[in-house]
Amino acid sequence: MSEFLNYTINGALIGLLYALIAMGFIVIYRASKVFNFAQGELVVFGGFVVWWMITSIGLPYWIGIPLAFVAAALFGFAIERIFFSRLVGESVFAMVMVTIGLLILLRGLILVLFGPQVRPFPIIFPLQPVIIGDILIPRSLFIGGMITIVVGLGLSWFFNRTRPGLRMTAVAEDHQVAVSMGISVKRSVAFAWILGSVLSTLGAIIFLSGKSVSFLASEIGLAALPVALLAGFESIAGVLLAGIIVGIIQGLVMAYVDPVIGGSVGNVFPFIIMLVILFIRPTGMFGWKMVERV
Amino acid sequence: MDPAGVFATSFARDQSLIRTRKQLICLILFMVLLAVLPLLVGPRLVAVATSALITVVVTVGLQICTGYGGQINLGQAAFMGSGAYATAVLASKFGFPFWAAIPLGGCAAAAFGFIFGLSAVRIKGFYLVLTTIAAQSLFHFLVLNLPQSWLGGSNGLSLEPAQLFGYVIDTDRSIYYLCLVFAVVMVAGAFGIARSRHGRDFVAVRDDDVASGMMGIDVVRTKAMAFLVGSFYAGIGGGLWAYYVRFVAVDQFTLFHSIWFVAMVIVGGIGSITGALIGVVVILSIRESFISLGPTFVQLVPWLGGDVVFATLNIFLGGVIAAFLIFEPRGLMHRWSIIKRSYRLWPFSY
Repeated sequence: MSEFLNYTINGALIGLLYALIAMGFIVIYRASKVFNFAQGELVVFGGFVVWWMITSIGLPYWIGIPLAFVAAALFGFAIERIFFSRLVGESVFAMVMVTIGLLILLRGLILVLFGPQVRPFPIIFPLQPVIIGDILIPRSLFIGGMITIVVGLGLSWFFNRTRPGLRMTAVAEDHQVAVSMGISVKRSVAFAWILGSVLSTLGAIIFLSGKSVSFLASEIGLAALPVALLAGFESIAGVLLAGIIVGIIQGLVMAYVDPVIGGSVGNVFPFIIMLVILFIRPTGMFGWKMVERV
Repeated sequence: MDPAGVFATSFARDQSLIRTRKQLICLILFMVLLAVLPLLVGPRLVAVATSALITVVVTVGLQICTGYGGQINLGQAAFMGSGAYATAVLASKFGFPFWAAIPLGGCAAAAFGFIFGLSAVRIKGFYLVLTTIAAQSLFHFLVLNLPQSWLGGSNGLSLEPAQLFGYVIDTDRSIYYLCLVFAVVMVAGAFGIARSRHGRDFVAVRDDDVASGMMGIDVVRTKAMAFLVGSFYAGIGGGLWAYYVRFVAVDQFTLFHSIWFVAMVIVGGIGSITGALIGVVVILSIRESFISLGPTFVQLVPWLGGDVVFATLNIFLGGVIAAFLIFEPRGLMHRWSIIKRSYRLWPFSY
């Protein structure tokens, strides 16, 4: 029983990590109507910047991490300036393909800038686990989960209750309508990318703390896709719940089904969830029901 | 538009693909060039040309699905892979000859693609992209986790060279000709599809699916058909690939390959069969020159290290996709038709 509880709680916390990464997708979508496939690459980039600031240059944590966030914000802003400020009002195909181009481009850029080596990531959260009764929880995931919940609820409040947040929501509805209402689409998109990039760096810190970072860590971007889809691409608070659900299911499948089949069902299971959602309810649990039936 | 003095006087003439005598001559010269190419160039270039022919088949399929049908498809490599595996299994386990195994592989891929095409009936845009990406990861999962005796698992499958009337097709040149025959047939078929009733349906659904439904086009059927045709082409390409490499493994068909195919379509021009051909030639020749010039370059500037070739190739691919979508979303073919038109109208502006 305690074993089951252990798997469940750890699954939920990993799910919250996915939710944090997925929040990057959703924030960018909520403020610009662009679905960013390069999210995993942004995470790796943020991770490498943190590694570079702290391990390579040797800055203390309290300077290095804020600086890394500033760098991530600048990077997100640069992406918006170079690519997406020119694409306002373009078709979905163009937007999606540019983010996929960005995925490949960033992967190459990371390889050129930081090399293919596996680098040790600084230990930001202490390594000893949190122990509650019989349950062992990695401390980084535990603190990360708390941060995720706070950030998620805060962003949800920002997008649903404040004026600037609602303005961006209008941009996510329709670029043309937003422009004709006097809302600056470009500013909204720029903000979205800055926020998305900063969130990815936060995700990288929680995900990679005490592990190692290489360009392969971007896999987490694809792993977080089903979470974003289950929540629906517009709901920020919903992604927390979706993350917990997907995380628990994946954790239990890994614990109980994988040994039986002897394969990597746990890794592919989120994609199966994703396909099921796509076929049954493409808007997810909390998404706006705008999908056209044809 | 046609050059001055060329007027179509019948419907068949108006629909014809070859419109002037000069175009016919150019086409014949081009076919002759393709036919004698292996005799003129070295074995390395023949290998490149063979893989280009296979890529042409796959990319033309993607052009029909994405460019004409408007169904975004990032799973083309998975469909190609399912065709390759089906061909390999049929040829190595059941002893089918290649002229039966390759089309059957195409049908298998079409069936696999059709399943995912069904989702296009309900969803579109980036939801569809997600579905095709899921197809990609599902393909990998299935191949690696089905019993090893079926698909070879992570070891891959190897197969015997193709045979025709006792003649073994295992040299570079003979495989080139095998691929050439298939590519010519498939490309000619694609031109046929594009100007047929189905092709017009595809274009109508791409431009506005609601309006085309109003006009009496069966939208659901058309979307599923676009996937069916596109993945059939991918499967034929996969079958040729299986006979070319004579070894099929799952890492030959990744999401990365799918993105290369999409990049070719974008660069060549969305919605044009010729554009797909141009895209394949342009992208492949740049990629090959990167790969062949890379080692020399690394020797000149050794501090960059050997991985820089792969990395710059990535930067190039991503940059090309983004740059074309931002600056010339209709691709090289559109540029070319602008140039052709202004040449034909010169010295007038319209």
